[in-house]
Order: sequence, then C-alpha cells, then structure tokens
Amino acid sequence: MLAGTLRISRSAVTASRRTALIQSTAAAMLRSLKTSAAVAQKKQGADRTQSTAFIKKEGASSSKKLRSGTTTSVNMAGANPEYYVSSATIKMLKLDASTNDSQINKFVEIDASFLDGIGKGRLPGFLDTDFKLFGKPALLYRKLTQRLVSQLAKNAGAEAVAPKRASVVDGKNGAGKSAELMKLAAVAAASDHIVIYAYSTFPWVNSSRPYAPANTGDLFVQHEVAMDLLRSVAMLSKDALNKVPLGKSVVVGKKTLAAEKTLLDLVEFGIHTPSLAHDVLENLLAVASTQKQVPVLIALDNVNTLWCTTCYTDQNDVALPASRLRLVNAFLPFFEGKAVVNRGWVVGATSYIEPRFMPRDLKHKLNPPAMVPLANPDVASDPNVKKPSSDVPFEVIKVDRLSAEEAQALMAFYHKTNVISAPVTNALVAKKWVVADGNPREIFKSVTAYF
Amino acid sequence: MLHLLGVNLPDQKVVSVALTYFYGIGPSTARKICSRLSFHKECKLSELTEGQLNQLSGVLSEMTIENDLKRQVSANVQHLRQIGTYVGKRHAMGLPVHGQNTRNNAKTAKKLNGKLLRKYSTVSSTAFSMFQSPVSKRQ
Repeated sequence: MLAGTLRISRSAVTASRRTALIQSTAAAMLRSLKTSAAVAQKKQGADRTQSTAFIKKEGASSSKKLRSGTTTSVNMAGANPEYYVSSATIKMLKLDASTNDSQINKFVEIDASFLDGIGKGRLPGFLDTDFKLFGKPALLYRKLTQRLVSQLAKNAGAEAVAPKRASVVDGKNGAGKSAELMKLAAVAAASDHIVIYAYSTFPWVNSSRPYAPANTGDLFVQHEVAMDLLRSVAMLSKDALNKVPLGKSVVVGKKTLAAEKTLLDLVEFGIHTPSLAHDVLENLLAVASTQKQVPVLIALDNVNTLWCTTCYTDQNDVALPASRLRLVNAFLPFFEGKAVVNRGWVVGATSYIEPRFMPRDLKHKLNPPAMVPLANPDVASDPNVKKPSSDVPFEVIKVDRLSAEEAQALMAFYHKTNVISAPVTNALVAKKWVVADGNPREIFKSVTAYF
Repeated sequence: MLHLLGVNLPDQKVVSVALTYFYGIGPSTARKICSRLSFHKECKLSELTEGQLNQLSGVLSEMTIENDLKRQVSANVQHLRQIGTYVGKRHAMGLPVHGQNTRNNAKTAKKLNGKLLRKYSTVSSTAFSMFQSPVSKRQ
C-alpha cells in the first residue's frame, strides 16, 4: 500500500514537475521573444516619418499647394480667428463714366471686366497684393484723378482740339502714378473709348519675351507681346472698335481687309495671326489716331522704357536701344510729338523701380537739379557751359503727396478692411502722414510693418 | 532631357545656361550664341521650336567643342612635348607649367598635368622617360 502510494505520489510529482517544466520553458521562450523584439526595435531606431514634437490636430488643414510663381493656396478653414481676420465686405461705387467730383477722397471699385481685359494677375506695381489684402480692387479717387478724368472727357469731346503733346504722369516711387493711369484707363473703357492700355512696358524691353529680327530693315519684332496687346485692346474696347470702319482697304500680309470692315475685324485678324500682329497694331494706331468718331486713349505705364537701352541684343551681341524694337517704334512718335491723336489722349506714367530702364538724361530732365544762378556774367553768358535742361517732348503731370484729407480717407479705408485694427484718430493719421511724407506706399508700409 | 550633339541637356534650363553643359562653351560663348540666334534671355530649351533647334545644332557643329576640342588640346600638348619645349617637359613631369611655386601647393598641376600625355603615350614620350615624374609613370 505504502509502495503503491509512493508510486502514485512519485508519478504525480513527476507529472507536476513535467508540467512545471513545460510551463517554465514556454514562459522563457515568450520572454526571449519579447526581449528579442524589444532589442530589434531598439536597433531599428525611432520612426522618423512621424514627428513626436508636433501632433497635428484633427481637422487641421493639410492641403497646401506648393508655392509656384507668386500664388500660394492655403486653406484657412482651421485658422485661429484671433489672428486671422477675413477682409470685410464694403459697399462702394464702381469707377465708371459717371464718377465725378462727389467721389473725391472716397474709395471706388475697379470694374471686374476691366481687370479681365488686362489679364489676371497683370496689375502694375504692388496693386495685386493690395487688392488681395483689401478683398476688392479698390483705389482712392483723388483730386488728381478727377483732374485727369476731366481732361480725358475734355479731349474726348467731338469738338475738342487734339492736344499736340502727350502727357506723362511723373512722381516719386509709390506716389500713385500707375494707380492713376489704371483709373484713367478704367474710366475710358467705361466711356466707350478705344483703350490701348499697357499695364507695364518692362516685358517689352527686359528680354523676357521672344523676339526676332524683322524681315526687312534693322528692327526687331515681338509677335507674342504685340498679340497680347491686341487681345487686351479687343477685350477692353470691343464695342468702340466695332463702331469705327477702316475707311480704306487695308493690306496686312497677303490678306486685304475691305474698307467696310471695322477696327474690331482688324484686331481679331491680328490676334489670330501672330506673325502679322505688328502690322495690325500699326494699322490700328494709324486708323484710330486719324478718325474722329470714337475717342482714343493710349496709356502706357513705365513709359520711360521707350527711351532706354533694352536687355535684348542684336546678332553681334550688342545691346539694342528701345527704338530698334518695332513695338516701341509704333508708340514712340506719339510721345515725341511726331504723331497726334485727333480725338482722345495719349498718356504715360514713368517708373523708377528699375533704374536700368530709366535713361539718365530723361531722369535729369524730369527732375532737374536746383540751379544756382551763376555769379560770373562771363560764365553765365558762355554758350559752351552746359546747363541742366528740362525740355521734354511731352507735358509732365506731377503726382503730389497725399493731402491730409486723402490720408485720412486712406487710413479709414484700411481700418474698414481690417488692415489696421487700431481706431483711426487724427493724431495717428497725422503721424503716419508726416513720417511718410504723404507717400501712399510709405503710409501702407508703416501701417503694415508688423505683418 | 534634350540630346544634342552627344550631350544631354536639361530641358527646363535657360538656353544660355544649358549650352554651358558643352565642353568648350562657357557663359560668354553661350550668350553670344543666344544673341546670334535671337533667343531672349529667359528662353528655356523646352520652348524652342524644331527650326530653332536645327539652327542651334548648325551653329554648334561649326564650333570646336567636346571631343574635337579635347583632341585639339591634347594634340597641342603633345606637340609641345615632341619639340622638346620647357612647357612640354612640365606637362610630362606633371608639374605646373606657368611658373607657379612647387615648394608647396601645385596639387592641381600634379593631378591634372600630363594627363593628356599619359592618355596618348607615344614612343617619344617613353624615350624621354627619365624626365617623367614617378607620378606620371604610374599608369
């Protein structure tokens, strides 16, 4: 019995030991697996595809387009409302033919059809970023603007005497020259003028667009630029162009346009035939400047480029003067007093942004240095002594600094469009106006300095 | 990539920059070629038409570039060596040619000079092997 009990207990002990052994072995294997896994992970290192320092909030915007050119698309859906304030919607009158002196010192909106006619993103200077900031294409209607608009209306009258000289708007950087020209072109486009408006002539001379030697003569042609200009003319003044017949048959290349055809047919032919765009443009200027049915506005921004040395070169790698470009040659006679517009106006605006395209003698003529009278009468009467000359072939219209009321209106508009959050007081306006010397661009820079 | 006269040119580069990828054309020559063919300064290779590319090929084939130029330079160095000039000997020894100091520096000359001679070894160069430096002997 005892032996049987012993046998049973021995077998029980053996079984229990076996079980314990199996369990311990399994546990050991499991531990070793965990350890090896842990070691392997440690060797692998941290997952560097996931940042541990920054955890993205759920619902945060992840759609960000890569910056290409000047446009950046950012989804502002998850933006902090304390920092990002959307631009306010303000009602304002549109700038058109009915705009008069009651709108002085008020902001007016540029018509969207005019901006489409110029082309998307093709705005002079900093106006593109300004309009995006304001949320609307709005500009201040100044006394100078009213003066220019009145002059435009006077020159557009049927019985008006055509001005013998073109007018050029000149002033310091940021004074508002390009803005004034654009407002003038917008009013002209709304008043059924034929508007030939170039928002910038830098692309004509800075070697950014294709060019080629002309078939005859020593000029160079830029078909793409001419075609763009014709397209802009067609979009801005379609109805006005349709009212003017050619008057005589016009031969362009191998095609002959009948006398009954209108200027619109001519321009559309030029748009569809880039190689003849220059011929079409020259014929357009010839017919439009001599007719008296519809007023014409020729407005060129950065007009100083017409007299500069371009970045283009001839076949011998010599820099070309602007007069060797056929496109510039088409407009130069109007600004040199050799050609006039019978009914309408020729206006330009200078630009000092690119000094290489501002000829030195033109710069000195537009801004002659202060001349101290020569005390010695012999020297004063000597014809060989060079004296600074301000004799230019066009009329100069100077853009003055902003008046106090204009500065007040500007700052009030910035406050309405949430560009400035602080209340606009007389003291603030006076401070900004004095510091910026009445320059609109400087005022804008000073109020947005911490953006 | 545009393959022109044996060289792969990147399409998205400005023409005057892409032309410098040719051996024998630097920024100045590239600019002159662009002026001759009336390519504006911001013109990219991908914007050129077939006619313009043919004109460009024509102009480039008139010039001595790539292998033709390498052969010409090598032949010039060989000639200097063969007629026994000082310059030729310096090329053979792999030392500076234009009178630079050799007490220190001269690393570039030791690395590059004589390379063209080593590439085109002739009987005359082995005859003058006593003038060759140990560097140039290791071929």
